[in-house]
Amino acid sequence: MLTDREILSTLEMLQNEHLDVRTVTLGINLLDCASHDLNRLKDNIFNRIADLAGNLVRVCNQIGDKYGIPVVNKRISVSPIAVVAGPFSSSQMIEIAGVLNRAAAEVNVDFIGGFTALVEKGISRGDRALIDAIPEALAETDRVCASVNVASTRAGINMDAVYLMGQKIKRAAGLSAKNDGIACAKLCVFANIPQDIPFMAGAYLGIGEADAVINVGVSGPGVVKKAVDRALAANPRMDLGRISELIKRTAYKVTRVGELIGREVAKNLDIRFGVADLSLAPTPNVGDSVGEIFQSLGLLSIGVPGTTAALALINDAVKKGGAFASSHVGGLSGSFLPVSEDLNISEAARNGHLSIEKLEALTSVCSVGLDMVAIPGETTEDTIAAIIADEMAIGVINNKTTATRLIPVPGKKAGDSAYFGGLLGQSVIMPVNNARGANPFIRLGGRIPAPIQSLTN
Amino acid sequence: MNKAVISVLGPDRPGIIAAATRILFEQDCNIENVSQTILQSEFSGIFIVAMSGDLTIQDLHQYLKEGLNPLNLHVYVKNLDTPGIEFSVENSEPFIITTKGPDRKGLVAAVTEIIARYGANVTNLQAVFKGGDDPENNIMIYEVDVPNDIDQQALYKDLRAKAIELSLNISIQHRNVFEAINRI
Repeated sequence: MLTDREILSTLEMLQNEHLDVRTVTLGINLLDCASHDLNRLKDNIFNRIADLAGNLVRVCNQIGDKYGIPVVNKRISVSPIAVVAGPFSSSQMIEIAGVLNRAAAEVNVDFIGGFTALVEKGISRGDRALIDAIPEALAETDRVCASVNVASTRAGINMDAVYLMGQKIKRAAGLSAKNDGIACAKLCVFANIPQDIPFMAGAYLGIGEADAVINVGVSGPGVVKKAVDRALAANPRMDLGRISELIKRTAYKVTRVGELIGREVAKNLDIRFGVADLSLAPTPNVGDSVGEIFQSLGLLSIGVPGTTAALALINDAVKKGGAFASSHVGGLSGSFLPVSEDLNISEAARNGHLSIEKLEALTSVCSVGLDMVAIPGETTEDTIAAIIADEMAIGVINNKTTATRLIPVPGKKAGDSAYFGGLLGQSVIMPVNNARGANPFIRLGGRIPAPIQSLTN
Repeated sequence: MNKAVISVLGPDRPGIIAAATRILFEQDCNIENVSQTILQSEFSGIFIVAMSGDLTIQDLHQYLKEGLNPLNLHVYVKNLDTPGIEFSVENSEPFIITTKGPDRKGLVAAVTEIIARYGANVTNLQAVFKGGDDPENNIMIYEVDVPNDIDQQALYKDLRAKAIELSLNISIQHRNVFEAINRI
């Protein structure tokens, strides 16, 4: 039997802190859709998605209603299209992106991830066709998300792929110039990409996964912030050890709810439950910000000295609480600091408290990377690739996932504003060191070898 | 084997359970379930026991009265009836309905009337009314099994409407959420 204290404290959390499940993502394996005939492949893909995901949104809403805890986003991830559609050309890949977009619309899902290539060690024909197709595929669709894994601790950094991605990002921005380069907001470049990310734009279903799986993103930066605020209001002299403990307990509760709902959705759809991703994922709404947590902890703004230590504390506590709460933790399980998607972070960038270099430093403790960072449109492909290479190096050496989602906003310069709309938000354009310069180092190409820490056997 | 339901009621003091169970032991009764609670200063306990041999309800009642009346306790004993039509837990979902709001007469009656009208079953009720208008001082927590085959949305709508009428802040939440958060 539940005690009245347990009931009342739980209610307080549910009512005051707007607890929700950030995303339920249905992973769909498309490997057996393969065909040498493009039309058959397209039909197979569409039918598979429509068939498996037909009830996803309805079931998520139903379970959300039952528990009074909304599932904010319902999404789909698929097997890497570079593998599924290996024999096809770049223009045919664009057609396949169109099919993914239509299938997502058919089942009423706002984003579908998996327009993906895994090229950390080398680029196959299908990989190259997919990467070449990315700019058009993203500019011509509104629901398809792409990701390219260009590095791993085991393989090193494929610098040819890094440079290629610098070029493709630049082109994707150009093709969506009238929307401030929004195509780039749907493109992530990764080191050590996990196979089971539920969050967009990096979600894809790994080769080692089953036919279908439900992965859940539990999130809740607002819940963590309120817990910190309340505790410090009650005891302003609470030390960081106790704050860490508090965040851990809060993360435990949030994760339990996320997993409860994820498992129930999975059961209703008769699909296996995969993982809970513990990442703190903000939205552009006030009170739903990762950035605000730093201010609750006493920092002037995210980005000022002390930010890296605070982030290390926050994310470690979230992971400890979440890992105990969930039977299977996976995905990114880091902290998202998406500049345009988090009002507070975006403000910090505008006020000059947060720079690209500080964001890069934060990656080394637990942030997932340079996420939704708007940069000047004049930034060269060399410099974009160089920023990617730096991020990848942090991931490879530290044996963690890192990623970039950079948006060189066409025709705009540092200090201007970029508008992406909806969940993608808006942001000031952040200045980039050597934005317009060439970078012969990047153009040397080849593969930076796997680091010594990859030799673990 | 006959089973008896025994209820014991009276001012709380040390030794009530000890006295009652000693008598049950002496009469060779096997205790199957016990639940006790204390509201303010009043003790209330309910026991289900299996009676042995030829012990009758009347005899058991007599022994308990003799032993417990000196402690100023009232005893009631009856046969445990064979279950009739039971509320089926399999076809229902457990919800927790919580209200906070100003104290007034008839709150529990008003809420439970609606719950009963829809055929939902209250399995546990905790209520504290300290009086006054501070909502935190007047709390009701109902654990309710809500049948799957009723119009649940209509039930919730009626409950919410009644809560507004009584100036209560109401929450209706599935019990699994509380279990998930509070139980390892």
